[in-house]
Amino acid sequence: MQVLSVSTNSKFVHKMWEEVELSKMVGGDIPFPMLSDGNGRIGTKYGVYDEDAGIDIRGRFIVDPDGIVQAMEVLTPPVGRNFDELIRQIKAYQHVRATKGAEATPSGWQPGDTVLRPGPDLVGKVWKVWKPK
Amino acid sequence: MEETVGTARPGKAAPDFKAEAYFKGGFTEVTLSDYKGQWVMVCFYPGDFTFV
Repeated sequence: MQVLSVSTNSKFVHKMWEEVELSKMVGGDIPFPMLSDGNGRIGTKYGVYDEDAGIDIRGRFIVDPDGIVQAMEVLTPPVGRNFDELIRQIKAYQHVRATKGAEATPSGWQPGDTVLRPGPDLVGKVWKVWKPK
Repeated sequence: MEETVGTARPGKAAPDFKAEAYFKGGFTEVTLSDYKGQWVMVCFYPGDFTFV
């Protein structure tokens, strides 16, 4: 999976931020490109550009290998993301794609948990194969 | 790659973009559609040197 980070900062500020702070936080280089969205055009296409503040708010988009957005989560700046949920979603989408949609993941699914096989046989019978935690 | 007008939504093609980027000590240019065939996470955030 390829990560692309985007903010309205210039590439120069990204370089400085990595050198001054991030590299100390993670103990090395940032392993993905840090993009510069100075005029907010990319953020605007993704519905996350705040024109008044001149920044992109905290949005993240999972894009599948066909270029289709599968999931998005957008938060206002003060609250950070939950990476566990993000990883869980990526694994779930990859599982669904690997089975070509034959299997779907129910609420709270973790790898190894029961999956659902949508079809006429399952209608009204989900309770037999899966229970909420 | 088709043009998408308007905002990104789950189930729809991710709007393509090209941007300057900083990567491992160097400057480069990144285009989203170059990554077709891989899973991509596009991650926006308000700003470098901010707190959260």
